[in-house]
Amino acid sequence: MIAHLTLPTPRLQPQCYPKHLIRLVSLRLTFLFAAVSVASAQPSVLLDAMSQELNRNFNILKEKADPPPYFMSYEVTEQETQSVSGSLGALTESDGGKDRFLDVSVRVGSPKLDNYHRVRGDRGQFTSGASLTYEDNVNSIKRRLWLETDRAYRTAAERLIRIKTNTQVKVVEEDNSDDFSTEAPAVFQQTPHKLKFDEAVWSGRIRTLSARFQHYPSVLTSHVAVLCQTDTRYLVNTEGTRIEHGRGFARVVITAAAKAADGTDLNAFETFEAVDTAGLPDDKAILAAIDRVANDVSALLRAPEAEPFVGPAIFSGRAAGVFFHEIFGHRVEGHRQKDESEGQTFTKSVGTKVLPDFLSVVFDPTRRKIGAVDLNGWYDYDDEGVKAQPVTVVDKGVLKTFLMSRSPIRGFDHSNGHGRRQPGLEVVSRQSNLIVESANAVTDAKLRQMLIGEVKKQNKPYGLYFRDITGGFTTTQRAGLQAFKVIPVIVYRVYADGRPDELVRGADIVGTPLASFSKILATSDKPEVFNGYCGAESGSVPVSAVSPAILVSEIEIEKKAKSQDRPPLLPEPMSMESKGGEQ
Amino acid sequence: MRRVLLGATALGAAMAWSAQAPAPDPVLRAMHDELERSRTLTVSSLEAPYFIEYLIDEEENFSVTASLGGLVAQRHERFRSPEVHVRVGDYKFDNTNYSGSGFSYGTRYDLERFPLEDAYPVLRRYFWLETDSAYKSAVEAISRKRAALRNLTAGEQIDDFAHAEPVHYIRAFARLDIDEQAWSNRVRVLSAIFAQYPEVRNSTVVLESGDGGFYLVNSEGTEVRAPESATYLRAQATAQAPDGMTVRDAVAFHSLDAARMPTDADLNRGVTALAENVVALAHAPKGEDYSGPVLFTGVAGAQIFAEVLGRNLAIARRPVAEQGRGGGSSASELEGRVGARILPDSFDVVDDPTQKEWRGRPLFGSYDVDREGVAAAPLHLIEKGVLKGFLLTRQPVRGFEGSNGRARMPGNYGAAAAGIGNLFISSSETTPAAELKKTLIELCRTRDKPYGIMVRKMDFPSSASLDEARRLISGAQGSTRPVSIPILVYKVYLDGREELVRGLRFRGLNARSLKDILAAGDDSAVFEFMNSPAPFALIGASSFTAETCVVAPSILIDDLELHPAEEELPNLPVAPAPELVR
Repeated sequence: MIAHLTLPTPRLQPQCYPKHLIRLVSLRLTFLFAAVSVASAQPSVLLDAMSQELNRNFNILKEKADPPPYFMSYEVTEQETQSVSGSLGALTESDGGKDRFLDVSVRVGSPKLDNYHRVRGDRGQFTSGASLTYEDNVNSIKRRLWLETDRAYRTAAERLIRIKTNTQVKVVEEDNSDDFSTEAPAVFQQTPHKLKFDEAVWSGRIRTLSARFQHYPSVLTSHVAVLCQTDTRYLVNTEGTRIEHGRGFARVVITAAAKAADGTDLNAFETFEAVDTAGLPDDKAILAAIDRVANDVSALLRAPEAEPFVGPAIFSGRAAGVFFHEIFGHRVEGHRQKDESEGQTFTKSVGTKVLPDFLSVVFDPTRRKIGAVDLNGWYDYDDEGVKAQPVTVVDKGVLKTFLMSRSPIRGFDHSNGHGRRQPGLEVVSRQSNLIVESANAVTDAKLRQMLIGEVKKQNKPYGLYFRDITGGFTTTQRAGLQAFKVIPVIVYRVYADGRPDELVRGADIVGTPLASFSKILATSDKPEVFNGYCGAESGSVPVSAVSPAILVSEIEIEKKAKSQDRPPLLPEPMSMESKGGEQ
Repeated sequence: MRRVLLGATALGAAMAWSAQAPAPDPVLRAMHDELERSRTLTVSSLEAPYFIEYLIDEEENFSVTASLGGLVAQRHERFRSPEVHVRVGDYKFDNTNYSGSGFSYGTRYDLERFPLEDAYPVLRRYFWLETDSAYKSAVEAISRKRAALRNLTAGEQIDDFAHAEPVHYIRAFARLDIDEQAWSNRVRVLSAIFAQYPEVRNSTVVLESGDGGFYLVNSEGTEVRAPESATYLRAQATAQAPDGMTVRDAVAFHSLDAARMPTDADLNRGVTALAENVVALAHAPKGEDYSGPVLFTGVAGAQIFAEVLGRNLAIARRPVAEQGRGGGSSASELEGRVGARILPDSFDVVDDPTQKEWRGRPLFGSYDVDREGVAAAPLHLIEKGVLKGFLLTRQPVRGFEGSNGRARMPGNYGAAAAGIGNLFISSSETTPAAELKKTLIELCRTRDKPYGIMVRKMDFPSSASLDEARRLISGAQGSTRPVSIPILVYKVYLDGREELVRGLRFRGLNARSLKDILAAGDDSAVFEFMNSPAPFALIGASSFTAETCVVAPSILIDDLELHPAEEELPNLPVAPAPELVR
């Protein structure tokens, strides 16, 4: 599996969460006894239809089907989106719509061994994310639920038979924990959020904002987009869970690209996130960001190419967040500990030191903000109906647990609310808001001094400063190289002799996870937020990575693979009202 | 969901200008100016382009989908989709007709979507970068093509591109003007008809209405702004027979103008008939092996001509391929048969996109200029049963050079694909349509057959799922590409009784079968459809569709074979369908 974190582009489906959520009391009582937490929520036609059809199908299948199901659930994801994109003062896209997607889960066999059992990296795919009517029409809803249940049941029964044959012939698996955990049912209902988006206003703003790039002739292509979405999830299961919850999301994405004379493609971006469009910054702040992005691209065009290098470096907080997400976060996802095709970097490390003892790592989907910044990776319930909860994965350097869905692993029988998915894919354990906490925090100025000290100590001409990272990817599969690569956009050389910092281009950071962690020396005292979307087996899910800047004693960069294309052969057709701006 | 139409003012202004005289349409002007500048493109010692063409498809459309009374999707979209064609070399030998043509070599610029607004400088900038990518790819392709040819013995030399007269054709685009609320309600109500038929397993009703057209400018001086509009409503339904077989049917209504769609009563009747057909099919007995005369009545006759004849009237040219790598699509069954009799000698076939109306009804496949900027004229394809020619684009094919204006769809290897517009099939010897059934019975009687077969509807364009279509292609019996499956098939007994049967497929029905037409009716069915390059013009399988119309009589064909579908059938669902609330 190759997992990666990316900058969300307007093409990705954003998820969204409203600002002032009225948090409703949610009760998790033992076993099938659950109390409804009623707020002003309307009785939901959809939820009622879902639970009626769920029970009807479950009862008939239990009685008549062979093998009978022991668990079923329906999850409906309702998404309403609006977006406007523009380039150089002209709109390029103006889109919107409302959809509901249905995910059906049918488990046959028993919690000990069921159709979801992983067989050497092969996972079952039962749901299809079918489109469901977005209107409260019972006939239309129930018919689709029935058709999808029939389809999912057939696939489930077929795979169980295959697995049973397989487990009989293959060697005993090392981790023989169950396939499905017992969790208390949850009941929670919240009034769905309404999408608020003034298309006319945003069309005007995007024209004005995107036209700013006309001042930067060296930028070849540029885009400014605004996206707004509401996302409501409805979930019922045969254990009595009945949930309706949602969030809103709004974001502005600025991207720019250019091509250096040697063919290297250069990109820069900046984004703003908020729970709704009202929380997005004003034009002045966005224009300032556009100027920064455009100037970054212009500066990169003039920057020298990076040379392969091994030595000390500072990652900015945002860059460090991505670094942790890639090289650490993906390796503590619970299901990877059980799958014998996975590298299982940390599987047997619980209780032992995996990070320097001044570092702790918490995954906290209940945190909505850090300071004034909205986080992207929060939710109330995960996609298996388990309530979100903070999980301290590393405490003072020592690994405590993993991110768990309802797929148990040895020593961890229960979910900790990290079973997530994009509609249409099966749930696996995923990251939420990754938060790096440090007990060895110094000021930024001090951290820089420490870097220069380290440069001198190692007798290097310079150290590196990674300001921005677009994303990266890591291979967790055993068959692959247990390595990671992260792709920095803005990298400076920090000289020991007092010369000014020098921007370089075309570097990739490479390394192996275990070696990299031991080289963290200190951190800054200011956490920064990277909001993005993480792509893995269960699709794209919103996440955040929060970290202070970190100083590492050694990091390796290599030259980026580059395009052999030349820049455009003809000069640009006409000057686009170019005046000033470029630095 | 009513959306503000962006750039409407500018578009409106452009229309006003074009009504007067020279069209300072900023889109055409940007295309023209950037194209002129691009003629000078060269890279080191390599050749400059000899031909450049810019095309923009522009459309604003509204679509709504409903199932059993609930809306599933509703979209209002506006897009512009550009194509940039750059040719290097010369008309005799260029970068196209090579298995690597049309591919993009090297990085593309991050242009995302094309500007929706008529901002002249931004449009030029987009064409500047798109042309740069296309030119670099063309230069790469021609050198690879030359290298590939070095290892092949030269076959027959056919030019790569045909000359064409420059065309100046500027018309205004229509603006999408449709009552979205009313149509959403209509579609919702129509979809609720199926709630009265609990045996229908799955059903959808879709309406799509689009207005726009294409802009085309090339380096030979052609300038085109050609409007295109189409609205259609399509309903599909499936049911499961007691043995597990899935049966299905679909119905579609087309119109060039949303305001001239059929009335609510007509739509209602069409959808109700569909529901009843599907239920009847689920109850119908399975058909058996059959060999003998088959009567295609009404629309089924036109469907056979659309699929079996229409699709073979375009010739696919095999591209130059690198060694060991095959290229090319399935060849036309009619290739090399010009001058040969392919229909009975009473038959004439004309493709006439220039005809706008037929018996008072606007023709769905009309156009003036094709997607390569070539004006279309009436084309006599078959005279007295003898094949006279093919549908041609600017891509020369063996024996034919020069377009006759039939480039209707994007094609492969740098060329456009040919397609029919309005195809008229007529016969000078007709039988009253009502008599055809008697003729069929007579034939059966003289041949000692207990029954004959009558087909009322074919699955063309196909409403099958992608999986089903794949199975049909791989499981086809006979040597030629399979035809779509017949949906409404009846046994006609000697006493005139009709019995609906299900699950039959044709074996070996192909262009040669048309020689065996025994009789044509004096009727003419008008069959309108969205043609596409996909097999069976499979609905939803292609991002590009062309409005097409076939006018044809009912036909009786001798000696066709049908066989029952041989597929593993799934069990019926364990749980019965949920009850429907009225």
